[in-house]
Amino acid sequence: MRLTTKTGLSFISASAIFFFLGSILMYFSVRIILAEDLKDRLLDMQSNFISNLSLIDDIELLKNNKVFITAQEKYSHTSFTDTVLIKSGSYNLFRKISFSQYSQNKIYRIEILQSQSQTDLLIWRIVILNVGLAMLFFLISFFVNHLTVKRTLKVFYSTISRLENFDVSKAESLDLENAEIDEIMKLNDVFKQMSSKIRTDFDEQKEYTENVSHELQTPLAIISSKAEELLQSNHLNEFEMKQVGIIMNTTNRLAKINQSLIFLTKIDNRFYTDEEDLNISELLNEKLSFFKDLIDEKRIIVTLNMDNETDIRINKYLADTLFLNLIKNSIMHNIEGGILEINLNKDTLIIKNNGAPIKGDSHDVFKRFFRTEVNKESLGIGLSIVKRICDLYNLKITYGYKVLHIFKIKF
Amino acid sequence: MHNKNKILLVEDEAELAASVSKYLDESGYVCTHVDSLKSAREILKNKSFNTILLDLGLPDGDGLSLIKEVKEKDYTTGVIIISAKDALSNKVNGLDLGADDYLTKPFFMPELNARINSLIRRLNFEGNNEIVIGSLKVIPEQMQLLVNDKNVDLTNTEFNLLLYFITNKNRVLSKTNLADYMSSNYHDYSFSDDLVYTHIKNLKKKLEKAGSEDYIKNVYGVGYKFIDS
Repeated sequence: MRLTTKTGLSFISASAIFFFLGSILMYFSVRIILAEDLKDRLLDMQSNFISNLSLIDDIELLKNNKVFITAQEKYSHTSFTDTVLIKSGSYNLFRKISFSQYSQNKIYRIEILQSQSQTDLLIWRIVILNVGLAMLFFLISFFVNHLTVKRTLKVFYSTISRLENFDVSKAESLDLENAEIDEIMKLNDVFKQMSSKIRTDFDEQKEYTENVSHELQTPLAIISSKAEELLQSNHLNEFEMKQVGIIMNTTNRLAKINQSLIFLTKIDNRFYTDEEDLNISELLNEKLSFFKDLIDEKRIIVTLNMDNETDIRINKYLADTLFLNLIKNSIMHNIEGGILEINLNKDTLIIKNNGAPIKGDSHDVFKRFFRTEVNKESLGIGLSIVKRICDLYNLKITYGYKVLHIFKIKF
Repeated sequence: MHNKNKILLVEDEAELAASVSKYLDESGYVCTHVDSLKSAREILKNKSFNTILLDLGLPDGDGLSLIKEVKEKDYTTGVIIISAKDALSNKVNGLDLGADDYLTKPFFMPELNARINSLIRRLNFEGNNEIVIGSLKVIPEQMQLLVNDKNVDLTNTEFNLLLYFITNKNRVLSKTNLADYMSSNYHDYSFSDDLVYTHIKNLKKKLEKAGSEDYIKNVYGVGYKFIDS
């Protein structure tokens, strides 16, 4: 829920409750006030009646449709009651004062009626007017509040969207707007400091990785050259030769991992910036021919269904690495006589191949050093390089397994 | 094959330099080692070399400046950069300045040897280069193999493999080295030992069928050796 909605909703509910209760309270207050007023009027009418009675002798003359006079045996107290008269089919509510009056030695019961419909109408008018005014007030203040909060929070929202788009591996720094609200200004300052700290740490870490990797190359070269020297000396026995072979193999493996890490760091450092339009089907065919021997060796059945017109704007070296790794992957993890199917159209590349299903989560295939037990020659870096290159060019790459391994790239 | 090609190695890592010198000397080159740019310039005043192996991270400079000087003096002098930095910028920069090849440390000695060999062949292109060993005649430029003067049809991989063996004849080539050579240093990829074995088996079969001797021998399962004697 957005902040403005949230504050708006609280405002609406609080006001609604307040006005609802207020209206009820007012309705009854007005009723009581008007009832008092009616009572006063009835008492006025009573004293009028009594003064009129003193002027004329015949009480019957004072009768009319609002004044009822009946003879009574006993004197009774003055009382007020509500009464309903049915007049031409409609009910009319009246307030009635009843009192006893002597006239020519007789006791009469006098009832004077006063219509309540006027006061009821008045009450309703007042209530409606009040509710209307309240609604209006409430609407106006709601919008004013909404607009103010929204305008005040504009900078806040822009900060959020910039934070969302902030990527430490990308070159752009976090650039936040200046805010007039102190709290937001402070928040932005904190974010700016944090982002620059993160960036410094990130850069230092990258630099560290690169330096360490480079520094490792020379010692590796020395180990490798010494192992080579041993291998060429003609007086080693079989056991010793095998040990030397293992040293060479391991050193080479270490060097490969190291080079891949340097390469990943370089992608992160935006080292490969030159871009050109490259034809994807040409690239794929080139890579397939590079692995021709391997395909023949494993008797893999290759099915190509490629649109020859699809181009991509990308760095040549990265494109080579990307497609080479994908093709390599689909061959290396394939089975004897397996299928390799490549579908390419205007906006999608799909590579399917046979192979044992992977253990674990399908997202893990793009993680560094993820490896299946089946294949020991793999370093587990190829697909993480693929992912990194895709990320760099905002290509969406997904992996799934449905009988075949399926890699899909959206351009 | 060549009358003692002269090589200048400019490298400040003494141990690495010692191994490289030894391997190259044993491969029939005359290798001179210096450990700084200053000494390299000194020695280049009086002597000429067929190939210079140049490390970029030298204590007294990055070595790139030397490439131009060498090439201006004699363009047939080959320059191969050997560096721990495989930065593409270095590669491009080095090659732009006139270096002929670039090898990233760590490298395999047979690979270095093959690069030097191929570079010397390229730079002295006048004559048709032929390598004759017993009944084999290899013409690298045309990727052609003749056994007893009869053409033998090889795949590119097989031909390159054979040439690699011949360049490093009488040396043990480890399976790791062969796999690395065949997969051309692509990231996270190495030909498996099985595949190396298959290719070598196929090559041997073709040579045998054409009537050649069995030159390529297995060495304790560690690697292979091309023996021409």
